[in-house]
Amino acid sequence: MLSPSRFQLVWLLLTRMTFRHWRSKGGHYILLIGIVAVGVGAFNGIRQASRSASENFGLFNQAVSGQSDFLIESPVQRLLEADLVKLSTLGLDPDWHLVPVIEGSVTAVKTGGVDKKQLRLIGLDLLALGNLPTLAQESLRFSDEDANWYDWLGHENEVWVGQKLADQLRVGVGDNITFLASGRLAKMKVRMILNDPDGNLPDDLVLGDLPTVQSLLSRPGELNRVEVVINQLDRREDTAYLGNIEKRLNQLLPVNLSLSPTQNRAADRSAMTAAFRLNLTILSLIAILVGAYLILQALDAAVVRRRAEIATLRSLGVDGSVLFATYLMEAFVLGLVGSIAGVGVGQVLALGAVSMLADTVNALYFATSVEALTLTSLDVIVGLVLGLLFSMLAGWLPARDATQTPPAQVLARGDWSPGFSWLRKPKVGIGLLVLGGVALLFPPFVMQAGSNMPVGGFLAAGCWIFGSALLSGHVLVLLAGWVRPFCMGPVARLACSRLRDGSSRHRLAVAGLVVAVSMVTGMFQMIDSFRGTIEEWFDVRFQADLYISESGVTGAGSVNGIDPKLMDELLKDPNIKYADVMRICYAKPPKGVTVLAGVDLEHWRDRARQIWLKMPGSLKVVDGAEPALVSETFARRFGVLSGGVVELETPVGRKRVSPLGIFCDYGNEFGMAAISAKVWTDWTGSNRPINVSLFLKDLSKLQETRDRLRIAYPGLDIRNERELRDVALGIFEQTFQATNALSLIGLAVAFAGLLLGLFSIFDESTQTWQTLKHLGFSTSRFVLAAGLEGAGIGVAAWVAGSITGLALGWLLVFVINVQSFGWTLLWTVPVESILWFGALLTGVGLFSGVISATYWNFRRR
Amino acid sequence: MKLISTLLFLAISFANAEWIEPPARSHRGYLVPTPDYTPSFPRDHGAHPEYGLEWWYWVGHLETESGNQMYGFQSTVFRVAGDPDEPKGQGFASFGNQQLFLAHAALTDGNNQSYEHTERVARVGWQASASRDSLELRVAGIEASMAGSGSVHQLISRYPDGGRLELELTPTKPIVRFGDRGLSRKGDGPASVSWYWSYTRLLAKGTLFYKGKKQAVTGIAWMDHEISSSQLGKGLAGWDWTCMQLDDGTEVKAYRLRKDDGTSDRWSAVYWIDKKAGVQGVYADKFTWDEEDEWTSPTTQLCYPTSVKISASHPTRGPVSYRLRPVLQNQEFLGNREDNAYWEGACEVLDEDGVVIGRAYLELAGYGGGLGARLN
Repeated sequence: MLSPSRFQLVWLLLTRMTFRHWRSKGGHYILLIGIVAVGVGAFNGIRQASRSASENFGLFNQAVSGQSDFLIESPVQRLLEADLVKLSTLGLDPDWHLVPVIEGSVTAVKTGGVDKKQLRLIGLDLLALGNLPTLAQESLRFSDEDANWYDWLGHENEVWVGQKLADQLRVGVGDNITFLASGRLAKMKVRMILNDPDGNLPDDLVLGDLPTVQSLLSRPGELNRVEVVINQLDRREDTAYLGNIEKRLNQLLPVNLSLSPTQNRAADRSAMTAAFRLNLTILSLIAILVGAYLILQALDAAVVRRRAEIATLRSLGVDGSVLFATYLMEAFVLGLVGSIAGVGVGQVLALGAVSMLADTVNALYFATSVEALTLTSLDVIVGLVLGLLFSMLAGWLPARDATQTPPAQVLARGDWSPGFSWLRKPKVGIGLLVLGGVALLFPPFVMQAGSNMPVGGFLAAGCWIFGSALLSGHVLVLLAGWVRPFCMGPVARLACSRLRDGSSRHRLAVAGLVVAVSMVTGMFQMIDSFRGTIEEWFDVRFQADLYISESGVTGAGSVNGIDPKLMDELLKDPNIKYADVMRICYAKPPKGVTVLAGVDLEHWRDRARQIWLKMPGSLKVVDGAEPALVSETFARRFGVLSGGVVELETPVGRKRVSPLGIFCDYGNEFGMAAISAKVWTDWTGSNRPINVSLFLKDLSKLQETRDRLRIAYPGLDIRNERELRDVALGIFEQTFQATNALSLIGLAVAFAGLLLGLFSIFDESTQTWQTLKHLGFSTSRFVLAAGLEGAGIGVAAWVAGSITGLALGWLLVFVINVQSFGWTLLWTVPVESILWFGALLTGVGLFSGVISATYWNFRRR
Repeated sequence: MKLISTLLFLAISFANAEWIEPPARSHRGYLVPTPDYTPSFPRDHGAHPEYGLEWWYWVGHLETESGNQMYGFQSTVFRVAGDPDEPKGQGFASFGNQQLFLAHAALTDGNNQSYEHTERVARVGWQASASRDSLELRVAGIEASMAGSGSVHQLISRYPDGGRLELELTPTKPIVRFGDRGLSRKGDGPASVSWYWSYTRLLAKGTLFYKGKKQAVTGIAWMDHEISSSQLGKGLAGWDWTCMQLDDGTEVKAYRLRKDDGTSDRWSAVYWIDKKAGVQGVYADKFTWDEEDEWTSPTTQLCYPTSVKISASHPTRGPVSYRLRPVLQNQEFLGNREDNAYWEGACEVLDEDGVVIGRAYLELAGYGGGLGARLN
């Protein structure tokens, strides 16, 4: 603990000494602050964006009906009006309100200036809304003239929209919106623009009376859920009261329905996306991690640069603890200013990332819409703490260095710097690599929604990255040693010698770059492996001639399916030989959620091509259980890789499925069990297809058939195999947009760090350069030597980073993916990309060296 | 029971009665109740969806077996017809648009001086239904049913915090039909008429689940069933209405139709129902409705004349007067709509000397405005 007088001294040194250095190297420190800002910003931006993109959880009606307290759902997340009739007794109680909800995604076709727009169509009993204590009655009026109650419901296809959506679609009262839903092209008429002065209504929300929406979605008699709103809102915080309400609700709840607090759904949905969000968070930490390396590097350089000053101060009696505190304070200020700036940067990045992430959540998990970005005080605190923590940790070693270096020794040794001894010792690095290997033995952590968190995998990744970063200095020295005998001329030899000396500055520069390079190489490898696997999967799996699905809806969680009547009509086409109709719904296993599909099991088993992990028939179906072909993810999640039984809740009670074969599937991470279509219909009470694969009689008429069907059914997407592949890969690329963006941010920070590192290296070698200059070393030679030095660092970082990246790629493909998502990918090493990456790193290193040396030279003049 | 099942309709003579022939349909297009209609029960206890407005209304005074606890209750189901131009038979079973229902349930706890009430609005469908064939109502928290062709019926009303009142109601007098030629007139408009049928004295017996306790209760209740298509005449702002069940075994029903200027409409009336369900009545010129005290709601700031004196000239007995005093001032029923609040509460009936001679329910409607427009 510093005494007040010492603190004053620290403050004096900080203002008179440290900040003077900052002023003289303004650009340098601004860049450093910028790097911290980008690091903190990337983390905060992703945090905000993923929250905004995925925390809507699909309860879009809340903007109208307010927050609910409980949800009544069926295991397949679809209720029928018969279920509602069973709930009518429950609806008699005045202590709560039952709010039936139907929702679906529809696509507005070209309207106004908008090409296509995905809309969320919500159906509520507009009349019963008047009962709700939560209704924002002031702003939401459904009719101008309220003398007739039935005016509130609208007629036939009438809907209500908010002003924002009306502006976007350029529609007014009485105008029609043409849209696609359930395979049909239909129109809805704007009855009224809802008054929404507070802007609470999402800009994709279309509201209608419940039966109207059922009709517009071609889902007569269907509901998504029934929400329960307690009547006494002031008792929402009273857990005993809520518990009693829950108990009373459960007493009268029909057996095939489940009741859960609404916040559980939020938690479920949150858990569903937890792995996805964690991956992003870890990725977003690359920049901040590299930033910490750079602070370490910069402060260490500062200590060396200011060694004369330190020595003088020490000689004047300033003790080590004061110097330590001063340097730590410098790191603190860097971290503080950088983190504050990072909050702003985070907002900008979040703006850019949010729709990207919403698209991904929509495509992979459940229907969501972007909520307004909100910067909470927690975001600011987390950003500040993270920035300060990393900065202080990074500042610790240089501060200690400043304290421990004896003044006489420093003054006597010219530009010699002891550097960090730990960077020269391979033990720590090797130890971390071994520790990473051991971490692989850890089992995955099972999360709330039933998905797995590969804790050991992430730990191993962290250990390997840090270990290789620490060892990368040795790679640099080793490589320089190998290359040196082949160097011709003084410039190359000089660059090689300096690299071979391996100062801690050089080692730090390589280490910072290695962190970014290894993670980027690993991620690109995983994405490439994924892409390759999916292409392979496509080649095998998709052998039909035409594929049909609901038009306009691309997300996994927002499908309405195809109107069965429409499908029956379509299947009468004379050129259809066979149609493989697929139906899906969510199902509730003991933990989390999974997908239950109804298919032509015989066709799937005997004729459809699949990548089989276990051939049909290789597993013995358990007596009394329904035979199912299950996906690898399903088998891994529920431990039935070698056969067994999984119990699923269905609207007709608990049912048991038993795998008879296991196929590879990359559609979702929740797994899928495919049973016979007839049983599926019996269990779910539905006959709504999700997609159909058509095999044609006359293949020469493929295009003709496709075009004919397209004209006849404009609400359906009818694609051939090539078109389907393009769409699927488009979704695939979309899901990795954020990953790519984060990798690039990390890389950009690392490159900026390389520039800074090289500048520090040259700054530190002032005496050497001046001596060389006196000996006749020209400026151009100096610049070239610097460029070669930078290129050498780039090459070393590439070699060490690529080796680590390959290990990370293996880890991501064979451990993290298998444990997180339950699918095995074909490991693809993108050799060409890695080579190009090497060339890029060498080029950037060379360029950075040239730029830094030129700048340094310019400043010296 | 035989007496009850034999319907008895008595001709009522009015000093000032003026016959106005009602039209076949209201201006909105609904059927208008016709004169000289002989209702057929139990069918006419059921719903009449071709008519614009209809309500079933029960009020009563209950006490526990020990006589220690006194309660008043009000249970009302309103039915409002949908768009008469909409083709019938359209719509969806669970969310119909042909009929709208409102359920109002209130419980007055005389001992603890507290009042619970709840309102729900529901369209015909999964949360609201009314049979056309008999009394078979299920609207939000209120259920009423009549088994077979009898007149004994069951009523279940639900209140906040799990409260529930289950009653079996047995008429002790035949049903009474009010008005000239079976039409109760509510204003000068030719369509402002209703079929207005009441059980003026019902023996109530049942169970009250209230504040976590289950109590057996007995008492006397009143039931109205009114059907119309244009309830209030033009220029009327609301009404004050009361039903009194006197200790001598007779009942009095009185209402004042308030004009926009505050005066009473000429069709305001007082009816006396004797022990054998014989009815006599007078119109506005033969009675006065004087406000003796008022109460201002702290919630809505509406001012209700909750203590009144009704003085009338009985066709045979001459001048009579009744003073109504609420057992609790705050019996204001707050609806979902801001302008839908009204006061409806249990009262005692006092004679000129201040002696309690019976019990009553008093309704003070339209003090928040807007009622006339919705019931025209």
